[in-house]
Amino acid sequence: MRPNDRKFLKSHEWCKIENGVATIGITDYAVSHLSDLVFLDLPKQGASVTIGESFGEIESVKAVSSLYAPISGEVVAVNKDLPDHLEWLAEAPFGKAWMLKVKVSAQSPDLMDVKAYDAHCKAEG
Amino acid sequence: MPVGAERRLRLLRDPDGPAAWNMAVDDALLELARVPTLRLYGWQPHAVSLGWFQPWADFATLPPDTPVVRRATGGGAIHHGDEMTFSLALDAERLPGDVAAGYGLLHDAVQRALADCGVASERLATGHAQRARPGSPWCFADPGRDDLVTERGKLLGSAQRRVRTDRPRVLHHGSLVLHAPPLTPFVAAVADVRPVDEALRQQLAERLTSRFAEVLDLEPFPGALTAGERALATRLQHERHEDPARLRRR
Repeated sequence: MRPNDRKFLKSHEWCKIENGVATIGITDYAVSHLSDLVFLDLPKQGASVTIGESFGEIESVKAVSSLYAPISGEVVAVNKDLPDHLEWLAEAPFGKAWMLKVKVSAQSPDLMDVKAYDAHCKAEG
Repeated sequence: MPVGAERRLRLLRDPDGPAAWNMAVDDALLELARVPTLRLYGWQPHAVSLGWFQPWADFATLPPDTPVVRRATGGGAIHHGDEMTFSLALDAERLPGDVAAGYGLLHDAVQRALADCGVASERLATGHAQRARPGSPWCFADPGRDDLVTERGKLLGSAQRRVRTDRPRVLHHGSLVLHAPPLTPFVAAVADVRPVDEALRQQLAERLTSRFAEVLDLEPFPGALTAGERALATRLQHERHEDPARLRRR
């Protein structure tokens, strides 16, 4: 069961917005279709992210995948421990494997609720 | 596959080219190709390509005149000598969603193409998954599950980049070794099994094309870069792949 307190992108990022700050990560579906995660590259605190543009990259099974921002804004916190503990992404993708906290200036119009995201995952197979 | 989707596989047979051009063309295909595209090419002069995340410091002892480029794809470094290199640029939906399963599909195609040419290889079914960062920085040093091997070692190097532009896209790189290159003499090579002459090179190119088309359920046709792809590749060659700061940024 995915949490219903956040929104999702088709590209399998999630965001949870509280008091104008979005916590961002990737979903269990994304993690399950990657494997043998080895590298994660995230922006620094103070950087800007933009809706639909890449905010980072992750490498698994020799495949580099871009990560896409569900919101625009300034990065106010980065989960600096995550690149050294990529197993967290499988253990708790909606919890301790969060990636960024971003002060929100705009949200993607393509964000889905959990019901729509579940259906999207089912359609992708 | 979506109803009415293009079912053709564009084949680009390129002459051996410099490293920066080779990588720039593949980047342009990932970004702009509207048709699933298979590109076969080689390297002149011979060169080393680093995986996207590899630290430059690991290669400080390379011979100083070695051309070096950073691939958009992951994995370990490859010394590109006499090899048949291929890239596939296509929509992600044409491959299994699971990355490892996608490797399996494409490696099966290469294995069948090799067998068509009288070169037996095995796809490893057990062992660790293909590791993005083995103990050695060289891609061929550490065969893992799904890798194509002979008794001598790993025969095919593979890596991917996955992006979502207007839709999810994949660039898949493959390096099929014909003769073992001097910086990585431990690799397996087609020449270990049978002499490599022009006829075999031609046959391998034809069989790879047919086998990729078969597993992707596409019809191959000979093509060329579009004007837009060529213009983007020319720009990326200079701005991205000939920029030493970018090469050394990790």
